[in-house]
Amino acid sequence: MRVLLRRLVFYVLTAWAAISLNFVLPRIMPGDPVTNMVERFRGRLTPQAIQALRVLFGQEHSNLWLQYVDYWKNLFHGNFGISYAYYPTPVTSVVNGAIWWTLILISLCTILAFVIGVSLGTVVGWKRGTWLDALVPVTSFISSIPYFWFAIIMALVFSIVLKWFPLSGGYDVWETIGFNSSFISSAVYHAILPAVTIIVASIGGWLIGMRNMTVTTLSEDYVRMAEAKGLRKRRVVLAYAARNAVLPSLSSFAMSLGFVVGGSIVTEIVFNYPGIGSILFRAAQSQDYPLMQAIFLVITVMVLVANFVADIAYVFLDPRTRQEA
Amino acid sequence: MSAAAIVDTDPVSQPTASVGLSNRFAWLQGLKSPKTLVGLIILAFFVLLAIFGPIFAPYDPSSVSWETLQPPSAAHWLGTTQAGQDVFSQMLYGARISIIVGFCAALLATVVSVVVGLVAGYLGGLTDDLLSLLANVFLVLPSLPLAVILVSLLPKSGSAGIILIIAITGWAWGSRVLRAQTMSLRRRDFVEAARATGERTAKIILHDIMPNEMAIIASSFLGTVTGAILTQASLSFLGLTSVSEWSWGTILYWAQVNSALLMGAWWWFIPAGLAIALLGTSMSLINFGIDEFINPRLRQANAGTKAQAKARRAEAKARKLGAVGLPTRDKVLPPEDHPDSSVVLDVRDLVFGYGVGDDATVAVNHVSFQVRRGEVLGIAGESGSGKSTLANAIARLYRPAATTISGQLLYTNAAGATTDVLTMSDEELRRFRWDELSVVFQSAMNALNPVLTIGTQIDDVLRAHRADMTKAERETKIRELLGLVGIQSDRVRAYPHELSGGMRQRAMIAIGLALDPEIIIMDEPTTALDVVIQRQIIEQLIRLKDELGFTIIFITHDLSLLMELSDTIAIMYAGRLVECSPTRQFYQHPVHPYSQGLLRSFPTLSGAKRELTGIPGSPPDLRHLPPGCPFAPRCDQATERCQEHKPDLRQVMVDNTTIQVACHSLEIPTQPKEDAHVQQH
Repeated sequence: MRVLLRRLVFYVLTAWAAISLNFVLPRIMPGDPVTNMVERFRGRLTPQAIQALRVLFGQEHSNLWLQYVDYWKNLFHGNFGISYAYYPTPVTSVVNGAIWWTLILISLCTILAFVIGVSLGTVVGWKRGTWLDALVPVTSFISSIPYFWFAIIMALVFSIVLKWFPLSGGYDVWETIGFNSSFISSAVYHAILPAVTIIVASIGGWLIGMRNMTVTTLSEDYVRMAEAKGLRKRRVVLAYAARNAVLPSLSSFAMSLGFVVGGSIVTEIVFNYPGIGSILFRAAQSQDYPLMQAIFLVITVMVLVANFVADIAYVFLDPRTRQEA
Repeated sequence: MSAAAIVDTDPVSQPTASVGLSNRFAWLQGLKSPKTLVGLIILAFFVLLAIFGPIFAPYDPSSVSWETLQPPSAAHWLGTTQAGQDVFSQMLYGARISIIVGFCAALLATVVSVVVGLVAGYLGGLTDDLLSLLANVFLVLPSLPLAVILVSLLPKSGSAGIILIIAITGWAWGSRVLRAQTMSLRRRDFVEAARATGERTAKIILHDIMPNEMAIIASSFLGTVTGAILTQASLSFLGLTSVSEWSWGTILYWAQVNSALLMGAWWWFIPAGLAIALLGTSMSLINFGIDEFINPRLRQANAGTKAQAKARRAEAKARKLGAVGLPTRDKVLPPEDHPDSSVVLDVRDLVFGYGVGDDATVAVNHVSFQVRRGEVLGIAGESGSGKSTLANAIARLYRPAATTISGQLLYTNAAGATTDVLTMSDEELRRFRWDELSVVFQSAMNALNPVLTIGTQIDDVLRAHRADMTKAERETKIRELLGLVGIQSDRVRAYPHELSGGMRQRAMIAIGLALDPEIIIMDEPTTALDVVIQRQIIEQLIRLKDELGFTIIFITHDLSLLMELSDTIAIMYAGRLVECSPTRQFYQHPVHPYSQGLLRSFPTLSGAKRELTGIPGSPPDLRHLPPGCPFAPRCDQATERCQEHKPDLRQVMVDNTTIQVACHSLEIPTQPKEDAHVQQH
């Protein structure tokens, strides 16, 4: 399991790099972000709020190292400062109210899209040379569509024209958020359209990648041998071709995931979904830097964890990585 | 970390971009495919739009008017916005910013990824470790949130800032792909040679490595353009770019802010998204062509399946028309047609070809022979003589798909029933395979599934063919099989990579024996092994054959090995059988000039010393065979007749032994005088 340990060290390092980037960036950019923000709010900020900003963005005392230590202390206490867009709510509360919506929506959609995309890709790859090949240009068209534009079209068709699904929000406002059936069914009902958008928009990448890998794998000797062994087609396709072809898809998970997450949070904006995307939109509108950097960190951590899960799956599926060397 | 990328399992390290100067731009050939052509046309359209669009724009994209929210009309082709702006003019202006930002950002990102990828891949060591770490960090950081952070810190930088930011967030993938490719190129001869002559590192990278990666660089660039245009659109949509500078994303931003959706103003947001999607599709269509060049297997698969589909359609059509051209053969032949039940496999006039048009290749050309039960038939020939194709044809393992197949492959089982393998249905074939005929492939490393244990790979066979066996019975059988070939039974749970080369080949043989088949085809089973291991395995094989009594068709280029192993030797040349004789006879009196040449080029382990001379020339191109005997150009006994007429394989008597040979030098074979003539050679 040394492979996984090495990956874990790498992700911790990446998280450290992302957090440090957040520390460094506002300090090397021209101008003093704190003064800008204080001016913009024209005295509405309390001295405590300004103090918290100073810790986050510097210039309190000149020693960078002490600033860095303070910065980390703040992070560990969950103190990301006050949000301007939602003034005077602390950033942590704003993020906390939104993160679960996004986390559940995106993780479910990613898993579904991966499973469906990889399965379809296997079929299209196996049946290469048939009419199914026509799916390839179609899917590359779909995966070139910006997620948010696809979301607009979906909303136009299914909410405005057909009126099958609600246009915006994550649940009916009269429901109380909690673990009760009427809230859950309302949340599921609201999530269907955003979920379908994300799944359809992200499926293409997995499908084409898997299709090409399946075609490549089919000319491997071990697939030929599996056929020579007189195994049933199902076994040849699943255990010999697809089982090997899926490995590169898993190892390119990192890049694709970043893309899916980026697309999904913008999709939320279209549906006014109460997740990270919508607060990111508002943060961007009002130049709410504390909120934006918190969102960046939260998403980064989510992506890193998901990558680690993909690594575990990879090690589980490929015995060669388990070799201690 | 550095070892993983050189292993050939990485799809990007497989491309075999030709290294000759003239072939460096061969990948541009990929642009000729219809998909790619469509992509290029769409791309050209948008580039023209970006250049000339603003000149033709009927209105100033920002100027407001009273005609608010008008649907498309003659005056406003794409309608108007809530402020009465002309959407069509906005689209034309927007094309310029979107395309400039997309291409410039991708150009910058590609330059960074080429520099990082080539330097890391070529220099290796610590430089590689650090650059790869940097690339991997950027690869896992979600790019859009990172771009959002950067943009919000550079609020007034305009398009230049956006270009820079997109490049920063988008270079990592390309650099990883190029690094892997550089690492494999670094080991190629021409790079080694350049290094040996003391060329400067920068020059090697620029002159020897980079030109050979142009296809991958181009493909990575096009992919990055799509990504950059999408990122720019997302950033604009979030309102993070200058909202008064028209890009397709900005149009969508204003549509969203003004709730165009709720007002049903579809003309406001549909064109921009469609344009982005079309541009992205054009990039992927162009990339299809390049990808097929980079990964030849994709191309082969496409070509092969097209031919196969064509053949299938023709067959279906013929069947509809009453099967005029199709020979209807009885699957089970009456015994009288096949009097000799000691013949286990009777190959009659087998023809096997690939490809269409100029590439059409007949790899197995009217081949006939018989294999008797329990004997070892050795088939020998140079690389490209069609011997491996013949092995695949007997097992009906065609890949890429064969375009022409004819002849008969008559198999007689132990009970005496004869069937033609070529006419078996899929299910009949599935049952026939491995139960009656198994194959030991050339490279065990490639033929064993890397992700399943040896035990599972044997178990698969038992489960597919012996449904009545219980799990415990299968377990016992697997251990017994491994024991038979000298593998300790605790290696049942070993994966192929955990075994040595010799062990893997033994495992292959164990799998081949799993169902106690009548025939085992062995395609160069020991070629990759060292001589000591080779000897052990061959000895074991002979012992097993004597014990279990199966028939072996042994294919190799190693004639001295066949001398010891086989009862009959068949020699293949240019897809044809040129000689087939009992081994002893063949060794003493090879008849065909090619056989004589082959024997002269191999030292034997025993027997008289003689000069090793070999055969001048090289095997012919199967696509362009000469009209006469294909060996004639290399034959020192060739006459004018040999140049014009192909000799058929016919039976002749030599030293009171019947042999088969295809050579004009044995014209009147029935007369005993000929024997004397033959022996002169």
